[in-house]
Amino acid sequence: MRRTLFSLCVLVMVMAAHAGTPPVSVSDARIRWLPGDLPMAGYFVITSHAPGPLRLTGAESPAFGHVMVHRSVEEAGVAHMAHVDSVDLAPGRPVAFVPGGYHLMLMHRTQALQAGEAVPVILRFSDGRTLAVSFRVTGAEGE
Amino acid sequence: MTAGAAALRRMVVLLAGLLVACGHSAPPWGLRDISGLMPPLDFTLTAASDGAPVHGKDFQGRLVLLYFGYTHCPDVCPTTLSLLSHAVAGLGERAAQVRILFVSVDPARDTPAQLKTYAAAFGPEAVGLSGSEAELKALTKRYRVSYGYGKADARGDYEVSHSSAVYVFDRAGEIRLLIGPTDAAPVITGDLQRLLAEEP
Repeated sequence: MRRTLFSLCVLVMVMAAHAGTPPVSVSDARIRWLPGDLPMAGYFVITSHAPGPLRLTGAESPAFGHVMVHRSVEEAGVAHMAHVDSVDLAPGRPVAFVPGGYHLMLMHRTQALQAGEAVPVILRFSDGRTLAVSFRVTGAEGE
Repeated sequence: MTAGAAALRRMVVLLAGLLVACGHSAPPWGLRDISGLMPPLDFTLTAASDGAPVHGKDFQGRLVLLYFGYTHCPDVCPTTLSLLSHAVAGLGERAAQVRILFVSVDPARDTPAQLKTYAAAFGPEAVGLSGSEAELKALTKRYRVSYGYGKADARGDYEVSHSSAVYVFDRAGEIRLLIGPTDAAPVITGDLQRLLAEEP
């Protein structure tokens, strides 16, 4: 598993070294399945290898009508979600999109999905470049 | 013996007694102990599974984990429900003596059918419950649970804010523990085991 993740990271980095793709590595990209057409959350860990500042500014996917970058916040025992315009990616510092924190909110499925499938998600960055990442659909209860 | 010495002696006896009492007291709970701070489990709601009315007392004899949320919640609600589901699964065969009650605070969107499949995704112990506005108000007021609705966007999607706490009731329906978002599954499992080991 670790080795697969590592090679995936290397692959993404190699791809990024070529024209057009931003210098970032993404690992552990997954979507937690929910029934029907309920919105689902996408999680991943992203690290920028750019020499200067870079921001994640949005995402889209052919499998969803609408994708938003969100952050769950808890204030005085009440949980709510906040829309996020962009996420700063400091060079070499991994940023984790995890349950209860940053996540992609994937809404309005264009096709039925089930656990085990891979779904492409395109991440957009402040330098205008995009990166296609394959997200694995996990069960509702996670791993 | 002088009065001062007698008083001192009484003090020593009292302190020794306290020490013995402390030595015999149960170890602290892993979760937050809120025994007696809230009223016993009582509500009237509708079961998403079959549309039948359900009452708090229907769950007597089982441990109850009471949680409020909504199905269009992609992050916090499934995260909490899967945490509870993993914690309950850790009880092995005794998991059947626990119910996870997921009460929807979004009756406008959460149809019984949707709530049923949503709850079912989190294991056999999860039960989806919905209620009229009055029923929800009564229950959320009873446990000081707050919720509110965000503005709908162009697609009609809106966000719901809701209390993140999970209330744990013992088999007699008395409030006992509070589960917060940072509690780990093994800690929850350990406390549920202790509650199940108590005299019913």
